Amino acid sequence: MNVAVKSIQKILLTMLLALAIGALFILFIGENPLEAYGALLRGAFNGKLKIGTTLASFTPLLLTSCAFAVAAKAGAFNVGVEGEVFLGGITAAYIGINWTFLPAPVLLIVCFLGAMTVAALWALIPAVLKAYYRVSEVCVTILMNSVALYITSYLVSGPMSAGVANAQSLPVTVNLPQFMKPSSVNAGLFIALITVVFMIWVLNKTTFGYKVKTVGTNPSHAEYVGISPKKIFIQSMMLSGALGGMAGCIEVLGVHGYFLNNFAAGLGSNGMLASLIVKNNLVFAPFMSFFLAVLKSGAMGMQQSTGVPKSIVDTITAVFIIVATMELLFQFKDKKNKKEKSK
Amino acid sequence: MSEYVIEMKDIVKSFGNVHAVRNGQFTLKKGEIHSLIGENGAGKSTMMKLLYGMYPIDDGSIRIHGDHIPSISPKIAIEKGIGMVHQEFMLVNELTVLENIILGFEPRHGITIDFDKARKTVEQYINQYGMDIQLGKKINQISVGEAQRVEIIKTLTRGANVIILDEPTAVLTPQETKQLFVILQNLRKDGKSLVFISHKLNEVMEISDRISVMRQGNYIGSVSKEETSPAELAKMMIGREVFLNIEKTQTKPGEKVLEVKDVWVSGEKEISKIRGVSLDVRAGEIVGIAGIDGNGQSELIEAIAGLRQVEKGSVLLDGKELGGLSPKQIRKAGLSHIPEDRNTRGLNRSMSIKENLIAVQVGEAPFCKGVVRDDKETMEYAKQLSEVFDIRPRDPEISTQSLSGGNAQKVVVAREVSIGGKLLVASQPTRGVDIGAIESIRKILQEVKAKGMGVLLVSADLEEILSLSDRIVVMHEGRITGRLKAEEANEDNLGLLMMGGTASAKERGSTT
Repeated sequence: MNVAVKSIQKILLTMLLALAIGALFILFIGENPLEAYGALLRGAFNGKLKIGTTLASFTPLLLTSCAFAVAAKAGAFNVGVEGEVFLGGITAAYIGINWTFLPAPVLLIVCFLGAMTVAALWALIPAVLKAYYRVSEVCVTILMNSVALYITSYLVSGPMSAGVANAQSLPVTVNLPQFMKPSSVNAGLFIALITVVFMIWVLNKTTFGYKVKTVGTNPSHAEYVGISPKKIFIQSMMLSGALGGMAGCIEVLGVHGYFLNNFAAGLGSNGMLASLIVKNNLVFAPFMSFFLAVLKSGAMGMQQSTGVPKSIVDTITAVFIIVATMELLFQFKDKKNKKEKSK
Repeated sequence: MSEYVIEMKDIVKSFGNVHAVRNGQFTLKKGEIHSLIGENGAGKSTMMKLLYGMYPIDDGSIRIHGDHIPSISPKIAIEKGIGMVHQEFMLVNELTVLENIILGFEPRHGITIDFDKARKTVEQYINQYGMDIQLGKKINQISVGEAQRVEIIKTLTRGANVIILDEPTAVLTPQETKQLFVILQNLRKDGKSLVFISHKLNEVMEISDRISVMRQGNYIGSVSKEETSPAELAKMMIGREVFLNIEKTQTKPGEKVLEVKDVWVSGEKEISKIRGVSLDVRAGEIVGIAGIDGNGQSELIEAIAGLRQVEKGSVLLDGKELGGLSPKQIRKAGLSHIPEDRNTRGLNRSMSIKENLIAVQVGEAPFCKGVVRDDKETMEYAKQLSEVFDIRPRDPEISTQSLSGGNAQKVVVAREVSIGGKLLVASQPTRGVDIGAIESIRKILQEVKAKGMGVLLVSADLEEILSLSDRIVVMHEGRITGRLKAEEANEDNLGLLMMGGTASAKERGSTT
């Protein structure tokens, strides 16, 4: 428990430090950081619409950060979550538009299953290449993100196009109910939350979770005790893909109601950031996702009511990552504390 | 001026809740080799790391050449003429030997490095101490022994008068150890003072002038070599008498449990590292494989365990062909395996003791219910094994990261022995563990044999092979160079065979 408390302290401290450095930048451009941050918070929380919007951008991050963390537990660096979100989204859209012969509740479930399956199979490609041919999954997944984007772009501009000016598909026939209209937050939020809790349970309590952690921390030990590192690596990459696909499905069915070209831009990478900052800790990742969602959705409000450009938020995020990776900083602090105690 | 080059007094150091050093005392005279011995976790390495300034001391004082040094850092230590050869070498694999030696202390020529001058200085040391080092090679091309000499040269070029060697022989073959000792004696003759950390008593007796013993972070005492004996040192280290030479239990060997027939296996870098090895192990006997490290023993064991591809030949376990089976299937067929490297293979250091104890039975009854792990059963089982195998500390929840070598190895042994099976492969089961653990692990191997399992024992420690095995097979360069019964084997004839001696050497050996 002590360890958990320490990590929380660290994360909070990192947040404050990132915000402080962000404040310096705001000072440089001649604005008042307190005002800017105030506007940011108002932009994220002031009123039903704004809270809803924040929660709506929190939903996919919950899943993508979890997706990245699950793969990371088995030792994979899955940059491909974004591509998986796209493909999950397009699959959900296709099924949601065309399989109308199914009753609505079944169709909804089939949309999810389809999206998760396709995304998992998409993740299978880099996983197999890595496990059996030692091709870096980082390179493959980065490249495959573009491929996924272009496949979906093609589909919504061509075969699946709604025939309107925007590249988008026809509306789907099932939707996840939105509950804080006019914002787009929807039932997907609860699905995502339950999924994340379920994944935490899987990793900590099940045999599969044990195997994933063993492979991720010491593959040669795993091999020796009779756990196949290759199989587990592939399985957890596919699981990660499925989570990405689920995020895509929720975006399409819950937020847009149709497949909008390039809708997932940044969802994968932001989820990855959230996960990386907390060292792929599944329990902390949701909190970090929430923080990022607040920054993102508050940024517009800040830009509108103060002279601070919303890109300052990207600066804060970047500083965040730098600070979070500066382990040394905290080690120094620990030492100092100890010295003071011993005196 | 003080009589001592180094004086460490009343040293205290803890890491969190672990008291690594409670009461550390150490002195070093000019021109002596002073051994610091103790079991794993006794605090000997920590003492020397404190002297080298790698961690700050909590309490006590350090004097170098009589000067009190209030806070020491590696930089200050180097300036004061202290050099340290760490257990894990601190060398850059991609650079050449020469570049490694001068790294951080490069002689300069304007803005470029003056390699000629560097080479001259380094060569002077090489000649002076009779070291065999090729300066142009890259670190990843040289042997462990050579890398160690590079580390020694590195300390010398930085002007070290005091050289600390942290368990230098742990990674060396007996031949390399002899070479190292010649170098150490040359250094002593030249007035250098050496600290030799070890827990191998015979080596300590051979090389030291004085010996200091530590136990559980406490200083026990210092003796000069002439006044002591290995038995007395062992007693000081452990606090009681130890018996390493266990009476061999006589059992009647039964059916063949392992048959290796003309097996060829690739090594990491070369194909056919093992060329046509055949051997068998019967139930209720211990077969020892003797040989210098790196002569194919590791590859043979990994091939048997299914962790390495067999080129040709066949391995049968209890009559079942193992070719093409996964490690899991081979374990199901009756293999238990204590691997040579407990840190990468044997344990998952990021997991707790209890999780490591059930590692091979994860997903099997009674440690799971459906897909969910059963923590209660696991805990129960882990508590029981900790008790039986005396794993300390007695808390199965703690991470194996913090265990000493001996206790970490006990976790591996406990797990492998408890699952039973037909054959136990024990590879270097007591390497790098303390004497207390050596004693208990050897006893366990005897018990396993008495229960009717076949045991295949690989060890670089001849004494271990001789004291445990019923039959001995000697390997050299991937072949078997001799097969002896325990009664006819001794250090001499085994030694010859290990160096690649022929059958005639074996005849000669067995008649002596």
